[in-house]
Amino acid sequence: MRWLRFAVLIIFATVLQAGFLANFNYKPDLLLILLVFFSVYASSSEAIVSSFVIGLAADLIGPVMGPQTISFGLFGTLLAYMHRVIAFRKMHYQALAIFVMSILTGLLTTLLNLIRGEPILSEFFVNILKISLISGILGPFLFLPAAWWMRIQTNRFRRK
Amino acid sequence: MAWKQKTYRTHSNRKSFLDSISRRMLFIWCMLAGLILLLAPKSFTNKFQFAFASAFRWPIKIGRDFSLSTSQNQPYIKNLNRNDIQDRNQVIYLKEELKQAYDKIDKLSGMRNRSPMAGAKLVIADIIAPYNDGSRAELIINRGTDDGLKKNQLVMSDYCIIGKIIELDSRRARIMLLTDAKSKIDVTLGEPEIRRTMQGIGNNCAKIIPQISATNKISVRDEVLVQKTPGLLDCPMIAGIVTECKRNEKVPSVWDITVQPACDITQIDDVTVIIMNP
Repeated sequence: MRWLRFAVLIIFATVLQAGFLANFNYKPDLLLILLVFFSVYASSSEAIVSSFVIGLAADLIGPVMGPQTISFGLFGTLLAYMHRVIAFRKMHYQALAIFVMSILTGLLTTLLNLIRGEPILSEFFVNILKISLISGILGPFLFLPAAWWMRIQTNRFRRK
Repeated sequence: MAWKQKTYRTHSNRKSFLDSISRRMLFIWCMLAGLILLLAPKSFTNKFQFAFASAFRWPIKIGRDFSLSTSQNQPYIKNLNRNDIQDRNQVIYLKEELKQAYDKIDKLSGMRNRSPMAGAKLVIADIIAPYNDGSRAELIINRGTDDGLKKNQLVMSDYCIIGKIIELDSRRARIMLLTDAKSKIDVTLGEPEIRRTMQGIGNNCAKIIPQISATNKISVRDEVLVQKTPGLLDCPMIAGIVTECKRNEKVPSVWDITVQPACDITQIDDVTVIIMNP
């Protein structure tokens, strides 16, 4: 894993999410797409660290710190372990993985926000569903530029 | 060759460092770090968020400005230029100030009076980062307790109240906009004045709760004013414009009222914090 390139990619995605995508009503969650990308293409140890770091980046532009670090870290690790059994090589599997991961992380983040004392909106699930759907559709297409930047060969399948 | 060997060894060592730690331990450490962040006081964790917003202020702003050309959230505002919006909001404010002055003259004839904003301190602050994420609408500004700011102080732009301070440190503050889904503020609207609460619903909109009886005359483009609040605002000020007023589908005897901010929040670069009693 090239950690410097990883840091640049995460900062770029975080800034893009907080700036360019902030004004759109319908937008993908770039950090979640990257979470799935690294869980699928990095080794298990790298996937654990990258999941928590991506969650931390998501928290930096979120309302409170902590919930997304935990939810991204937990589900990113689970996906990395699951990838040792089920391969997410085809685009529609990757899209499905992003969609499911987005819903799971969204629900856990909401629950942790509730524990933290943050009010929960009545239409929170609709918001999660919207983001999950858009992320699921766009995500697999963003895997290619991410793989190019990280110098990861997506066609070389390996499990660590 | 020796150099190559050394490089290889360094790379190999670095790679093995992560692999030398068991995955279970790695996961537990990271999870503990996450839990510490979750349970740490907000005043402490805010520092990280403020630092990130400050460090990447310019790329975030450039990205936001670039995306603005494609968003059309406020059709009623987009038709006006910024000077027109400022003039309109200022006229509404002056009308309210005048009305209040007449009321005071009636009540306290003979006593010395002053303009509601005369004693107030206005602190101009630059926006470091805007966070507009569906239901969430917040701004981070570059003023804090060192500049006399306190929690719950109201913030205006273009002579229009846009939000209030919810968190702050010595040099930065977080503003929750009135359209944020967690925001609630007391407002007046209609003629005669009806007192209600304006609750943000996200996507640059707010609604009026509890609903107003359909016997009251409310129409699109009516002004929604923030009620005067002792210590925070001495004179009602415009907060929004009614953009939709329709009968409730389940209970047709009440209005469902949607409000949008009276200024284009996406276009502003600085805001003014009202410190009523400095």
